[in-house]
Amino acid sequence: METINNLLQTLDNLFLIIAATIRGLFADPHSVWANLTMDIINFIIVVIIVVLAALILILLERKIAGWTSQRTGPNRLGPRGWFQTIADALKLMGKEDVTPASADKFIFKIAPMIIFSLPMMTLAVIPYGDGMAPINLDLGIFYFVAISSISTLAFLMAGWGSNNKYSLLGAMRAVAQMVSYEIPLLFSLLGVVMISQSFNLGVIVEAQATIPFIILQPLAFVIFLIAALAELNRAPFDLVEADQEVVAGPFTEYTGLRWGLFFLGEYGNMTAMAGLGATMFLGGWQGPGFLPGYVWFFLKTGVIIFLIMWARWTFPRIRIDHLMHLAWKVLLPLSILNILLTGLGIYVYRFVMGG
Amino acid sequence: MFGKGLLKGLGITFKRMVGPNITEFYPEEKPNLPTRVRSSMALDKTKCISCNMCAMACPNSVIKLTSEKDETTKKKVLKSYHMDVGRCLFCGMCTEACPTQAIIVTQEYENTVYEPDGLKWDMIARAERTEKEG
Repeated sequence: METINNLLQTLDNLFLIIAATIRGLFADPHSVWANLTMDIINFIIVVIIVVLAALILILLERKIAGWTSQRTGPNRLGPRGWFQTIADALKLMGKEDVTPASADKFIFKIAPMIIFSLPMMTLAVIPYGDGMAPINLDLGIFYFVAISSISTLAFLMAGWGSNNKYSLLGAMRAVAQMVSYEIPLLFSLLGVVMISQSFNLGVIVEAQATIPFIILQPLAFVIFLIAALAELNRAPFDLVEADQEVVAGPFTEYTGLRWGLFFLGEYGNMTAMAGLGATMFLGGWQGPGFLPGYVWFFLKTGVIIFLIMWARWTFPRIRIDHLMHLAWKVLLPLSILNILLTGLGIYVYRFVMGG
Repeated sequence: MFGKGLLKGLGITFKRMVGPNITEFYPEEKPNLPTRVRSSMALDKTKCISCNMCAMACPNSVIKLTSEKDETTKKKVLKSYHMDVGRCLFCGMCTEACPTQAIIVTQEYENTVYEPDGLKWDMIARAERTEKEG
């Protein structure tokens, strides 16, 4: 029993131990050079997480699409088709890189890079385990939301730079949709911040040691889930890239690896948003002790990602006026109501506990 | 209640997800055809009495057969039996007309050919081919 407990403890702190060992190689473990090395290692780990997540999620998405329609999904390459994404990525790399003649070339080329860089920046503040946030920011949520809202700008750049009417139409839709849904998303997170009294994601996870916030804030979780779907431009809110209406929206003119970068960015953003949901509402790395903290975190993230994909392959696309109606007339009042109720709850709690 | 339909839809897709797949892995696993599928013809040369009833019954005159008289037994012997399958309906009327069950409908379905001439089947050669395979 003792040895098993020791083993679990070691597994739980595996990455911290590795980090301490690397720091121990330096004469002064907290010198500038040690910090720089650790920062570079953290950066590489986050990039690996983004790329791996995209590779796995693209396949998972196709598998789930298959299962919901009683097919098996990709099943040719590798065991049960699990290597399909690698073949797809290789195919994308081999494709011709076309820039339209009348495109705004600089903006056209820089837009996919911005989209791809955003999930790396947002995933850097998420705590993957106890003390395992690559960057421990005090304004973690604030930073996360600020960075993820830049993707609106990248969509607009892609749409404008392509010099194509469908691209621009899709980009306009992206701006309208993402700016609208940012507000309920923020307000739904505000309830959690009010309870935990902190913007720091690590502190928020620690505050959920006894009870995850999904039980205290069920309404906020539902609002968060809907607004996150809309933020990520995924079905049923995929008006930005609605194939039947605007070809592929801002991605219409992109080919090869640039288009692949958009895809990587989309799935990276999805991972980041699901990670935020798991951190804020499901208790992040907190969980029964028989699994290490980071395993719990990725399990919870996976559950939210599965929910998002499940919704995508169930619901038809929402109409654009209904989309705006939902954001401004349903989600926004509900999220404000949630803030009011949370405030009342905190007041009553303090009154009863005599704080 | 508002939003009940959404949950119902999610339930239905989840049921589909955990339920069985209906995919058929065709080249690896041959499908189980319904018993009444008619997709190919086969000839048993020994049974054929060269009566030409099948050719007469055929609505598209697909079947062309020739025969010659054996001088010793005074019976007709089949010389050639050709089907232009490109025009064949697989209606099975030839099998109904056949008095000795020499021509039958089979469920062989991999009949694809690269050239149009491949659709002109020499039934005697095909029968020998299947015998060899069997």
